[in-house]
Amino acid sequence: MTIMALVLIVAGGGGYLWFRMAGGPQAVSSVQQEAQTTAPAARPDEPFMATLFVPADGALGNVIVAVKRHPELQLQAREVVAALFAADQGKRASVVNELRLRALYLDASWTVTVDLSAASPNQKEIRASAEDELLAVYALVNTLTQNFPEVRQVRLLMDGRVTQTLAGHIDLSRAYVKRTDLVKNQ
Amino acid sequence: MRTIIGSLCACLVFISSGANAAEKGLAIKGVRYFSYSGFTRIVFEAEEAAPYVLTKPGDGRTLHFSSYGGPFTVKVTQLPPINDGVVKGMELSQDGEHRSILITLGPAAGDTKDFVLRGPDRIVVDVLRGTAIAPSPEAPGAKAPVIVLDPGHGGAETGIVTGQGVEKALMLELALTIKRILRKSGTRMTVVLTREQDQAATHDERAALANTSGAFLFVSLHAAQGSAGRVFILDPDEGQSSPSAGRPSDFLGFDAVSEQQQMLWGTQQAGHSQESGRLGRNIARALAGREGTEPAQAPLAQLKAVDAAAVLIEAGTAMSRVKAAEAIAQGIEQYVREKR
Ligand SMILES: [Zn+2]
Repeated sequence: MTIMALVLIVAGGGGYLWFRMAGGPQAVSSVQQEAQTTAPAARPDEPFMATLFVPADGALGNVIVAVKRHPELQLQAREVVAALFAADQGKRASVVNELRLRALYLDASWTVTVDLSAASPNQKEIRASAEDELLAVYALVNTLTQNFPEVRQVRLLMDGRVTQTLAGHIDLSRAYVKRTDLVKNQ
Repeated sequence: MRTIIGSLCACLVFISSGANAAEKGLAIKGVRYFSYSGFTRIVFEAEEAAPYVLTKPGDGRTLHFSSYGGPFTVKVTQLPPINDGVVKGMELSQDGEHRSILITLGPAAGDTKDFVLRGPDRIVVDVLRGTAIAPSPEAPGAKAPVIVLDPGHGGAETGIVTGQGVEKALMLELALTIKRILRKSGTRMTVVLTREQDQAATHDERAALANTSGAFLFVSLHAAQGSAGRVFILDPDEGQSSPSAGRPSDFLGFDAVSEQQQMLWGTQQAGHSQESGRLGRNIARALAGREGTEPAQAPLAQLKAVDAAAVLIEAGTAMSRVKAAEAIAQGIEQYVREKR
């Protein structure tokens, strides 16, 4: 019996490659700049009213907060996600508290890539149940897609890399769209 | 079937990496093995994915593993000392110019299956225990359904930490208790665990184990704070997204059940949504102790490549572990009885 196996070498992680080429938050390609021209039109001194989806009691509750307005959608989205991380502090221990925002990018296909990192540099593992991890992922996805209707999907990275999961359960190899059944009616 | 797949993949490798892909050879940087109750798994960690050859000469007592064209380099000072009845040992072999790893099979060895996993690139060889899924004497020709229990996390990945202990240990204990209960039940089943000790295994490795064992159903066991038990099935959107929205196909199973499975690794669960829902409902109702309870849906990494009815259970750490095990076993048994 002879078994002959030949392996297909696939250039994986296109998003990661793009991220590496982008070289960090300051590097914005021309296609990104094109996508950013449709940032919300309002007076520059007017705050941006953001709806945040915060994990609480096995669901996502929504909270409206005023954040600093930015002329570009990418910067505005970063400000809103930073507000989400701040809003979750003080709630019951959730995965969001174990994470920090490293960077956020918007590409020409209206996909937002959120690059996360462990909140503490000494933390080797994000520890959470599947439910808490699910709520953390959709807190980010729903917050971005609700506040920026142009955003088609959201992809999450850890430390600049495509990762299988945050805490061992929820698949991060794919991009996400809004999910409303997790939102608690208030 | 093998000839067809071999030709197809040869074509793909030359398109993606040029005509000399095979001539680069294969470099092995690590060799690991795992002894499971049903089979022994040998994992060859490759520096870079490359064509390989696995042969079983006439007497059927050895396997020869080498590169398909190009040099075969083994950058391991010592091969692991296996001797578990299924595999008797491994050694480097040099026959003239030809170098290979010689795997000597033990008396309990049965069929062999091999497949490739990417990121990191690995070549996996499973040597099945000859009697692992043998027909039982009371029902000649009929196979007992294989129940795969997957204790979550393991090794360096501890899972959540609670007053009762760490998730990886609690879930191994829960899996072993469920296995004991199922063995005593009147329904004939073969119960396989994805890990029987504190060891790391990737989601792909766990799914591959279930698929190569011919799993009838797969139950992944996890913990959560509190006194409730929750059951999840795969979000039906999973596996139906375009390749650009997910990882590229990264698995080629050369002896798997179907061609579709070989080409669409990570989408196998999509075909089992209905059955997973039925299994999930049975277990959710047994855990809650009331009718009408439904499993929740989530995009779970551990379920998407499982080619059988599959659920993930979160057992509250404040629950009685025996009661949780009994309820899960009851849900599994009820599902098996309904389907057989
Ligand atoms: Zn878990």
